[in-house]
Amino acid sequence: MPSPSLSGFEHRVVVGMAESVVSNNPSVTLATYSLGSCLGISIYDPVTHVGGLVHIMLPDSSIAPDKARTQPAMFLDTGLPKLFRSAYEMRLDKQRAVICVAGGAQIMDDKGFFNIGQRNRAALDALLQQHGLRILAQDTGGMVNRTMYLKLATGEVRLKVSGQTTETVLWKL
Amino acid sequence: METITHDLDAYIDKVSTLPPAPVILPQLLHLLHKPEVDSGRVVELIECDPALTAAVLRLCNSAFFASATTASDLLEAVVRLGFDHVYQLVVAIVGARAMRPAQKGYGIDEGELWKHSVATALAAKCMARSRGADESLAFTAGILHDLGKIVLAQALEQSYAKLVKEIQVNQSSLLESESAILGVQHAEIGGRVLARWNFPDSLVSAVWNHHTPAAAIGYEQLTSFVYLGNMVAHFMGFGYGHQALALRGRAEALSLAEIEAQELPHYMIETFGLFNEMQALIAAKD
Repeated sequence: MPSPSLSGFEHRVVVGMAESVVSNNPSVTLATYSLGSCLGISIYDPVTHVGGLVHIMLPDSSIAPDKARTQPAMFLDTGLPKLFRSAYEMRLDKQRAVICVAGGAQIMDDKGFFNIGQRNRAALDALLQQHGLRILAQDTGGMVNRTMYLKLATGEVRLKVSGQTTETVLWKL
Repeated sequence: METITHDLDAYIDKVSTLPPAPVILPQLLHLLHKPEVDSGRVVELIECDPALTAAVLRLCNSAFFASATTASDLLEAVVRLGFDHVYQLVVAIVGARAMRPAQKGYGIDEGELWKHSVATALAAKCMARSRGADESLAFTAGILHDLGKIVLAQALEQSYAKLVKEIQVNQSSLLESESAILGVQHAEIGGRVLARWNFPDSLVSAVWNHHTPAAAIGYEQLTSFVYLGNMVAHFMGFGYGHQALALRGRAEALSLAEIEAQELPHYMIETFGLFNEMQALIAAKD
């Protein structure tokens, strides 16, 4: 984690596949690349400027409990709670949390044999509902690869779709 | 049909971006399948290519294969790592030469096709291993499966936007859109190139049919490993270009590969681990 000084410089901190990062450093932009069927989930507290980003591969850790212990961010049911816990420690308030989600792309599959993207999304909705949380902005599904950015100074979430040159704003204050 | 075939071959002839034929791969595969591997012959083949020799030695002494002693020549490397590992290194290095460059015609940035190919190859290899099939063959087919895109990228440079539009408007797959716009598609072109390079029928068929595995008569299982490996790579975001996941779901690939849909997440996890271990190979520049 970069030290919280060096104002004026924008540090891009990359959140790899099956990783999560939380920070309150206003010069940091968290980035997670090429989501495919994976989900990028960002959380942000506009008052404390604490934010986090996780790159989740799969919905359910029960298929590989050992893996979930060493790499909880691989699975939604272990990765999302971990993201929130780390952010709470830095004073993110649950009621103020801005939750955004991107990714969960799908191939052309009418029969639903290959629906990892959909299952990731369904698992996210179920978990958030359990905890009384809701998504403020989202761009999921479809056949595109997305890259997601969270700027900690403002909480702005941007998306870039592979093969397109422009970025779009998914959420900002 | 004859004219079309002739035209395609003439087309392949004209393409200036085609990499040099990796003649070493079919020769090494042939040696690999003999009951007794002749290490001397393996070394002779690799040594014909000094850059390849240097890259194999460098990778073999890298952290991934770290051991107390340094291998100073190829024979030592083959003896120490085993032929399977050295073969995999060679495939990776030879594949990287062709797959690393950007391919504008598909919206592919430098290194993206290479990462995609490695992820596909690793997933296909894991599936082959779990079913007791030939994992070296599956790995090789995975590395080479999108070879045809290198050939078609040039033709598509002027019409990439049209290709993307075709996918969006008609909800057609990438393969179908290529056929509609160019009259050819990358899987067939890749198969034809490998056939011209005298690669074994198994690899020609697996590459040619990697979007339609049921059509790979005699090689359905191998081809299904590649089809499913390609899909696993896309799930994990190892894709490229716009509408990257425009490929058709073929449920029959699961039965042909003898793999259950519920197993796919396990192959994603396994591929993830191997991919990270293989960073040295993925970055390979010789």
